Amino acid sequence: MTGADTAADLAARRGADDAVVYQPAEDSGLLAEAAVEVARGRVLEVGTGSGWVAAKVAAERDLDVVGSDLNPHAARAARERGVEGVVADLCAPFRENAFDAVCFNPPYLPTDPDNEWDDWMEHALSGGESGRELIEPFLADVGRVLAPGGVVLLLVSSLTGYDEVLALVDEAGFDHEAVVEESFPFETLTVLALRRA
Amino acid sequence: MKESLMDVVCCPLDKADLELDADDRDEEEILAGTLTCTECGEAYPIEDGIPNLLPPDMREEASA
Repeated sequence: MTGADTAADLAARRGADDAVVYQPAEDSGLLAEAAVEVARGRVLEVGTGSGWVAAKVAAERDLDVVGSDLNPHAARAARERGVEGVVADLCAPFRENAFDAVCFNPPYLPTDPDNEWDDWMEHALSGGESGRELIEPFLADVGRVLAPGGVVLLLVSSLTGYDEVLALVDEAGFDHEAVVEESFPFETLTVLALRRA
Repeated sequence: MKESLMDVVCCPLDKADLELDADDRDEEEILAGTLTCTECGEAYPIEDGIPNLLPPDMREEASA
């Protein structure tokens, strides 16, 4: 394969990946801001998407960051940004006490089950009927992979139900603190830092 | 994947240790190979430098 072929292949593949991978938006910017401020040690970003947040934390804080995503196209996009990409279901394949910081910008839009469109973009955006379908299992398992003294950074949208998410946080045995918050025309986004209560 | 990833990953099914079998590697990382659970024997592929650690039932769905 010539160099030109390789570049063309890469561009085509990257274009194909971009179409099915969540690209950085306001929520990503907010999570990155919080993560750059708070993250330390070994970091996991769950649902890394394009890998943009993970790459930013790795670059600005010089930390080791693993980016995991259910979507293999996303894991590849993250890898192309220099992040260690893993295809995974939330925290399932990670060891107990493995990470000092875990970041997650979950798919959070409440979605009518009749309107689910069943492709990678839906996986990246839809939080099921409640908007909390991924937040719930994430919170139930993240404590296992978190090292003692570790912190979870979770992005919450007002569309997902702030109080309902706080109830799940409490149930999972975490204290919470808002690190950054920003209001947009249709939603308020907050990044919560969660620490074991 | 870098070999250091082995410090943080486990079998998604039973959380047991994984054993690395590298088929292709460069100075920095493993590009192709298999991660096998030391407990249940389930094998997880590493392709293009990316380990796929989805449980087998989800792996089928994701590759569709």
